[in-house]
Amino acid sequence: MSELMVELANVQLTLVSGAGAVNILRGANLTIGKGEAVGIVGPSGSGKSTLLAIMGGLEKASSGTVLVAGQDLNGLDEDGLARFRRRHVGIVFQAFHLIPTMTALENVAVPLELAGRADAFEVAARELETVGLGPRAAHYPAELSGGEQQRVALARAVAGGPDLVLADEPTGNLDGKTGRAVLDLLLGQSRKRGATLILITHDMEVARACDRIVRIEDGLVVDDGRHAAAAQ
Amino acid sequence: MTAATPRRPSEGQVRDWLTAFRFARRELRGGLGGFRIFLACLALGVAAIAGVGSLTSGIVAGLSADGRALLGGDLELRLTHREATPAERDWLAARGVVSEVAQMRAMARPVGGLPTLVELKAVDGLYPLYGAPVTTPAAPLSNLLAVHDGRHGAVIDDTLMIRLKLNIGDRINVGDGPFTVTGVLDKEPDRATESFSLGPRVMLSLDGLRTTGLLAPGSLVYYNYRLALAPGVATATVQKAANDTFPDAGWRIRDWRNGNPGLQQFIDRIGLFLVLIGLTALLVGGVGVGNAVKAYLDGKTATIATLKCVGAEGGFIFRVYLIQVMLLAACGIVLGLIAGAGLPPLILGLAGDVLPIAVKLGLYWKPLALAALYGVLIALAFALWPLARARDVAAAGLFRDLVAPTRAWPRTGYVLATALVFAVLAAIAVLTTDERRFAIYFVLGAIAAFVVLQGAALALMRLAAKAGRPKIAALRFGLANLHRPGAPTASVVLSLGLGLTLLVTVALIQGNLDRQIAERLPTAAPSFFFIDIQNDQAAPFEQAVKAEAPGAEIKRVERLRGRITSVGRSHADAAEVSKEQRWVLRGDRGLTYAETLPERSTLVAGEWWPRDYAGVPLISLEAEAAKGMNVGVGDTLTVNVLGREIEGRIANLRRVDWGTFALNFVIVFSPNALAGAPASHIATVKVPAAQEDAVFRAVTEKFANISAIRVKEALDQVNDLLGNIGLGIRAAAGVTLFAGVLVLAGAIIAGGRRRTRDAVLLKVLGATRADVLRIYLAEYALLGLVTAIIAGLLGWLAAWGILTQVMRAPFLALPMVAAATAGLGVVATVLIGLAGTWRTLSQRPAPILRQN
Repeated sequence: MSELMVELANVQLTLVSGAGAVNILRGANLTIGKGEAVGIVGPSGSGKSTLLAIMGGLEKASSGTVLVAGQDLNGLDEDGLARFRRRHVGIVFQAFHLIPTMTALENVAVPLELAGRADAFEVAARELETVGLGPRAAHYPAELSGGEQQRVALARAVAGGPDLVLADEPTGNLDGKTGRAVLDLLLGQSRKRGATLILITHDMEVARACDRIVRIEDGLVVDDGRHAAAAQ
Repeated sequence: MTAATPRRPSEGQVRDWLTAFRFARRELRGGLGGFRIFLACLALGVAAIAGVGSLTSGIVAGLSADGRALLGGDLELRLTHREATPAERDWLAARGVVSEVAQMRAMARPVGGLPTLVELKAVDGLYPLYGAPVTTPAAPLSNLLAVHDGRHGAVIDDTLMIRLKLNIGDRINVGDGPFTVTGVLDKEPDRATESFSLGPRVMLSLDGLRTTGLLAPGSLVYYNYRLALAPGVATATVQKAANDTFPDAGWRIRDWRNGNPGLQQFIDRIGLFLVLIGLTALLVGGVGVGNAVKAYLDGKTATIATLKCVGAEGGFIFRVYLIQVMLLAACGIVLGLIAGAGLPPLILGLAGDVLPIAVKLGLYWKPLALAALYGVLIALAFALWPLARARDVAAAGLFRDLVAPTRAWPRTGYVLATALVFAVLAAIAVLTTDERRFAIYFVLGAIAAFVVLQGAALALMRLAAKAGRPKIAALRFGLANLHRPGAPTASVVLSLGLGLTLLVTVALIQGNLDRQIAERLPTAAPSFFFIDIQNDQAAPFEQAVKAEAPGAEIKRVERLRGRITSVGRSHADAAEVSKEQRWVLRGDRGLTYAETLPERSTLVAGEWWPRDYAGVPLISLEAEAAKGMNVGVGDTLTVNVLGREIEGRIANLRRVDWGTFALNFVIVFSPNALAGAPASHIATVKVPAAQEDAVFRAVTEKFANISAIRVKEALDQVNDLLGNIGLGIRAAAGVTLFAGVLVLAGAIIAGGRRRTRDAVLLKVLGATRADVLRIYLAEYALLGLVTAIIAGLLGWLAAWGILTQVMRAPFLALPMVAAATAGLGVVATVLIGLAGTWRTLSQRPAPILRQN
């Protein structure tokens, strides 16, 4: 395996609510190499999104080791994690999560502006051109279709040149044709930039487009490898 | 391995703020829809403070701008009882133009009619040195006051013309002198700086006054010498020289910059009171500000989480939304300042006649700046908490459906910052006034009210949660609405409660003062004061009263005027005296001597002198005055009585009940000290109401020089004055309640979507619109009732404290006043609540269910 981007060892996550403790991850182990495209599949509530959140430093593991891009995420505080994401991680959501009061261009420029880049808007404009939305740069999210919004979200995720792109059901809210187009863009852009892509999906067609499929059930990685095994 | 980058260096901080500003600007494109209540709350409070401050500044500027006209000169030297000596007159004449004015109270009598008490003012030919009187007919004053057909002329107030049914050309008698009414005095330039008037004005010439026979020894006459100084001569120089040249003159000198320190202090106090009420409105509005910010940020949690996902730090989030809130606050503050600056012309338009002074309208930056500062601090104080919680919104929430702050309390730094802002707010409230003690009481009271109301809200929520399940469904649902997550109970109880507390306090204080004047005083107070009774008139006066009213209670004492010249070994000018008691040393004061402890007095230190005491002169001093002058039993006071210096030892201290109109004095000498001094007498007479007219007629017809003051008429005047002040204060307190109503409305609007969904679900489950209405009614009635009860109790306590501890007045509980005011709160809560939720009743379920 090439150099590692993600190393998870015995990762557990327990959330406590008024109704009691819920064990969401129960000792997950996973390694992902740099430049890999990995699809994560599993039933609802199995812990897929939580695993993604932990890899993006959005959630802190209750125990276990989380190394991403060589950084032990457990050792960072909240602001440290934010700065880590700014430099290393891009995220695409199922519900797009564009900021409604910002234009497409401004949405894409957000991580670049946060990083203090003087050329934030030039880079953002280029990224929008790349995803085919140059003419829609001045449009607000409400003026864009679902597919267009997701392409803006994709441009935003890769604009800062992240080492790791995390995508949570990126085609879940899109029709088949649009979803396929977005998936192609996501895979193409990640590969072109040498970024690692981790993609959560319920759709095995989507998962099969990745290099590798990981299956999660009940908070554990139950299959980590070939398409055929995971697909069963 | 790539380590996370360290925090960017400080040179990047400016860029961080600029980036945050850019983000904030973009966010605000979403519109201000959710901020209407926020803007209204801030604008209302700032407008109240700016308006009151601007009006007060306008009054003070008016006093200052017309200072010379109001005083009647650059400098005024006032003598009591005596005219200036030839040497004093010559000295004054060498310093500028001198105008002489004599003032006293007297009885004016129309031909064949009953006399009435008037304020006499006798002027020379130079009056006024500054400003101009306005008369009808318009004619030079000297012409109107001159002798026509053997009688001096008099110009009088319009009210006296009406009361005595006089016409121009009619005759009136003042004392023994006949006068012809030659005109109506429409405007008197120096009226506002004179003390509380007990009757309408009658203006005569000085020569005319000398024909009245009123200038007997011991008569209470003030001689004012007004000076128009030569250009370049400083008032302070002349003032000092006058005191140095005539150290025993006993004159009270005022210059045009501070013509009436009492009036100035009164305006300052009323101004402070109203500003504090405005600040309460702003505090109440602050709760609305906090609610609005929280509601806005609740709607932004997804955006905040998204920003965090793409690398925004918590501090950056805080900055972005802080900038937005403060930009909006600036809009609210500017709106408030505009409204506040426009308030004085509006008030003058509506009630200008009530004010005795020409208000100088204009933009006064100091009160406006103070109001703006209060606005900024209130916005910060109430916004910091929700903003600090927003920075802790978990980014991971985007992966679940729950996006909410992870902490119940913000980080310690933000909690401390909030406390600091409140502390600064309190410090400014205290430090920007001279009445520090009162402002400190206000701050402590506000803190106590906050704590109690917040505690009451939490207790109400707990009780509602533990109340079990009442059988009446509406009550059950209503109770549940009070304690479920997101319920507006806490903020409504706090904001509406603060407004109501203030209103109950004001209503109770005014109710108490009204009752004092309307009920208690008339039964305890005498029917009349008779002043200027000469020594040889004392016995005939009493006989005249007894002849008409054999059961009359007559209290009569000798009354002299004296001026404290030394306190212990210190000269009075150098003595350290509290601000409240400085008046005791200001010029001549009435004093008396007595063998026994005067009525309505309680000895609190030392002992009363024995009958027939013949030792060194002894003084009985009023306890508050003693405290203010920092003297006690055994210390000495030197008093100049009619030019004679009398050093007396303080033998005892008295606490005096001033509230009953009984005869009493700050200084009472032992009889031996003042034996033989020429004194006039002052008397109170208490008779049944049916005999008042007969006694009045008997005394005033027999003794033309004795002035009769009907206590009832004086009380009516006080009542009118209190009524006007009370109206202003109630209006300001009403603003506070309105702020509370705004907060309530804001809380209902914020919860509107949830209420609509609830109402729809209830309807789906079979509830009629009447059922839903009953649920809301139960919720708002419970909320209003608890708020009203707590506010009623707090207001009652505050009124008790202010009346008994600050005003030293008795306290009547007046439960109906408190209950009626608190009841207003219940009605307001229910009406506003139902109005805000009325629309939810008519919502059709299907569209709402589709949305959810």
